[in-house]
Amino acid sequence: MPKFDVAKSDLERLVGREFSVEEWEDLVLYAKCELDDVWEEDGKIYFKLDSKDTNRPDLWSAEGVARQIRWALGLAKGLPKYEVEESDVVVYVDKKLRNIRPYGVYAVVEGLKLDEEALSQLIQLQEKVALTYGRRRREVAIGIFDFDKVKPPIYYRAAEKTEKFVPLGYSEEMTLEEILEKHEKGREYGHLIRDKPYYPLLVDSEGNVLSMPPIINSELTGRVTTETKNVFVDVTGWDLRKVMLALNVIVTALAERGGKIKRVKVIYPDFEITTPDLTPKEFEVSFEYIRKLSGLELSNEEIKELLERMMYEVEILSENKAKVKYPAFRDDIMHTRDVLEDVLIAYGYNNIDPEEPKLAVQGRGDPFKDFEDAIRDLMVGFGLQEVMTFNLTSKEVQFDKMNIPEEEIVEIANPISSRWSALRKWLLPSLMEFLSNNTHEEYPQRIFEVGLATLIDESRETKTVSEPKLAVALAGSGYTFTNAKEILDSLMRHLGIEYDIEETVHGSFIPGRVGKILVDGKEIGIIGEIHPQVLENWNIQVPVVAFEIFLKPLYR
Amino acid sequence: MLGYNEKLVLLKLNEVKKARIEELVKLTGLEQVAIMRALLTLEKEGLAKISERKERIIRLTDLGRKYIQMGLPEIRALNVLKSKKKVKLDELRGVLTEDELKPIVGILRKEGWVKVEKTPEGLVLEITERGENPEERPIDKALKILSEKEYATSEEISKIVPINELKRRKVAQEEEVVERIAEITEKGVELVKKGIELKREVTSLTPELIASGKWREVEFKPFNIKAPVKKIYPGKKQPYRVFLDKIRRKLIEMGFIEITVDSLIETQFWNFDALFQPQNHPAREWTDTYQLKYPEKGYLPNRELVERVKEAHERGLAGSRGWGYVWSPERAMFLMPRAHATALSARQLAKGIEIPGKYFTIQRVFRPDVLDRTHLIEFNQIDGFVAAEDLTFRHLLGILKKFAIEIAGAKKVKFFPDYYPFTEPSVQLSAYHPELGWVEFGGAGVFREEMTKALGIDVPVIAWGIGIDRLAMFRLGIDDIRYLFSYDLKWLREAKLIW
Repeated sequence: MPKFDVAKSDLERLVGREFSVEEWEDLVLYAKCELDDVWEEDGKIYFKLDSKDTNRPDLWSAEGVARQIRWALGLAKGLPKYEVEESDVVVYVDKKLRNIRPYGVYAVVEGLKLDEEALSQLIQLQEKVALTYGRRRREVAIGIFDFDKVKPPIYYRAAEKTEKFVPLGYSEEMTLEEILEKHEKGREYGHLIRDKPYYPLLVDSEGNVLSMPPIINSELTGRVTTETKNVFVDVTGWDLRKVMLALNVIVTALAERGGKIKRVKVIYPDFEITTPDLTPKEFEVSFEYIRKLSGLELSNEEIKELLERMMYEVEILSENKAKVKYPAFRDDIMHTRDVLEDVLIAYGYNNIDPEEPKLAVQGRGDPFKDFEDAIRDLMVGFGLQEVMTFNLTSKEVQFDKMNIPEEEIVEIANPISSRWSALRKWLLPSLMEFLSNNTHEEYPQRIFEVGLATLIDESRETKTVSEPKLAVALAGSGYTFTNAKEILDSLMRHLGIEYDIEETVHGSFIPGRVGKILVDGKEIGIIGEIHPQVLENWNIQVPVVAFEIFLKPLYR
Repeated sequence: MLGYNEKLVLLKLNEVKKARIEELVKLTGLEQVAIMRALLTLEKEGLAKISERKERIIRLTDLGRKYIQMGLPEIRALNVLKSKKKVKLDELRGVLTEDELKPIVGILRKEGWVKVEKTPEGLVLEITERGENPEERPIDKALKILSEKEYATSEEISKIVPINELKRRKVAQEEEVVERIAEITEKGVELVKKGIELKREVTSLTPELIASGKWREVEFKPFNIKAPVKKIYPGKKQPYRVFLDKIRRKLIEMGFIEITVDSLIETQFWNFDALFQPQNHPAREWTDTYQLKYPEKGYLPNRELVERVKEAHERGLAGSRGWGYVWSPERAMFLMPRAHATALSARQLAKGIEIPGKYFTIQRVFRPDVLDRTHLIEFNQIDGFVAAEDLTFRHLLGILKKFAIEIAGAKKVKFFPDYYPFTEPSVQLSAYHPELGWVEFGGAGVFREEMTKALGIDVPVIAWGIGIDRLAMFRLGIDDIRYLFSYDLKWLREAKLIW
């Protein structure tokens, strides 16, 4: 899902080898990416990579992709190792943030030499992680600061809305409230904190603001450039596990660029932790399970080797059991299946021989669909053109334009457009809409649709039922009730069903030329000449005669 | 094949060998246009030749035609004289106009038809012997010829009478015309010799002709079988639906059972939760999923099932550690138009399945997109699963490959790692279509055990979905996806057949 741009040369610098574009196409599969696009800009080749996995933010930048490929190529194996040093930086977290944005985790990365490519990867990664993994910053927001401009200790605290600082991209101080109203990012993400009594603020020992999470950094410290050597990383959110994972993704990506990771002590009102925590995670798997479900004849040793190429460390515990350790920048392993997929990716999907399962099964279609097909064939035999229209429609189309009072209908709460804001409860309005679109086309126009009408039914699990119906409309000068009835009558005779037509009144039809269609005394549809008011509503200038019936009562 | 007109013209032409069109009109009784059309056909067949000639011709004037009817003034005067023998000039006013009266004495005297006597009452004319028995004069002969046909050649007339005389008397005028002359060829003569049967020609075969047996005596006017005809439109099935019907039949042939369904609306429970999609998953965001305003919430299925799904999400099932959050039954009750057909697979698994079993559904699903040339607001999804003991990832690839070959007509396939919240491992299938090149053709995976266990299934279940829109667009010859649900009658009427 997440798509990101990388320079081919940057990837190759990180991997330490050069490849053709075709080779890259296959290589990125190891990182669960697809090469979506290739283009040239300023003499450099760029790739658009589409990462398939929404739970693997570690694979959403050049650093992560290159890392996985280095392992897959055998240039490294087992767990990636990162040296983490202590620092004396401390961050104090305010207890008033508990219901505002409770968790913040931090790290320092020193000794960076970021060029343009590295910098753009860092910014892109930060954005993608916050957008997708962080659910548009709600669950994860990331700030990166020029550490040389920050004076620890640092305070993550609840601030009055009237406090001020200069947000990134501005030259004037603004109150926190003003930022939410006026700043582009404030307007975009303001809803995440707007109704809280205080707003989160990250400040240093001299009272300089680093950022207002999850909205915006300060102009003073929040601008990272190619000149920046040392950075301070802040990740905030609601779930400690998620924010720690995001922090690990960011700092290990920076470490791939030569940065030195340093730990920060975070002091909460009731506990303290040191972040980042890059201790590998563990999971126990069964070799037999992997062999069985993969369908590949792999020895324990082979599975171990394949996993080492996917950055696992494997400790064989017994004939069938292994303890696997995986890097702290991953948090997606819930089940042996997740490990199994990595075995298959390392093996290469396209190196596996597909095998069609031999199953003694007999196919069968829904017999009602066959019945519908027979009805459709008959309608085509009458010279009618079949149409297929949308179930989504509007109350205007279903009721107003059909000259009938509004009824109960299935309605969408968040439609893209009011035109598509309800599910149709009858088909004729769709056919009228169709005819209305084709008034310039040669008449007569004879059309039908076999489709669904969705009705309210409180007794069902979904409180609705979608009933198959047939609707027929004939448009052209000279058509009368008789023409519609001829088709209905022929249909009924072909089904061997006795029916009756009973006079009724319906706003969509001309009085005296409309009837309820009855089978076994039950109403199953309506037939008549469309009312001129309805024709006028649809800008149709020829008579239209029509009928619509439920199909289930005719299926015997 | 000669028609009636052609035969008739040929026969008549054979009688005279060579004739002007006007003559043929008289000979055949056909209209001039019909003769020309017949001659053109005859000429194409090499049976006759048409030539053109410029010619000076003499044609009667209006006055000339009047004189043909009433007689020339001198003839009219002579007729009076024949009965009265002797008349005063004034007495001729009855049969002559003033203009004709003036030169009449000179003409009559020149012909030697009268003797003239001057008297106090004016001139008196007396008929002569020659007048009693006049000879036919050249001018009379010429007028007679001209009265019999529309015109005559100057050449022919000048042999009879000086053209100038006719002009002076204003009875005829000279013109230049292009004359078409038809001439039978040797081949034509040969054909006539062999015999041509001339029958009455009819345009339509009537019931009466059949009943009476008279059809034997007539000939049917040949039609211009190359002439364009009016467009007519048959009743037809909707082409995209035909395409889907075809895939449905194919899947049944391949051993799949069709899943039945009774509503387009789904609870979030079946659309997401039963598929192990966590409640904070981005696909469940308001912007990516429709919700209903009315009815807002549905019911959850039986408590036992709901409990298992809750457990799968919160703590994990079947050796999984789960998503680790508090699962809300409230959230799962919200209703929505079904967003993917996989929801129906989940329902079917919970309802109970045959093992081994192969299932499919072709279902209308809904996504909040803007309708444009590449996006639909609702579309059809083809989705299903295969459940059996001992299914493997190799089988999954085998099933996908079979789809690509059978349905997309692909020659080669390529697999890519993919991700779905409800499958692990997951695959994306690209098929190499002979005309389209590489096409993303589907996705598949093995349903997560957290999901299948919760739904009560203990064997591996391979889930698959195939994306047929690009293939359908190719088959239907369109590059605007909206035409799959075309509201354009002209397009539907003209749409090519697919089968």
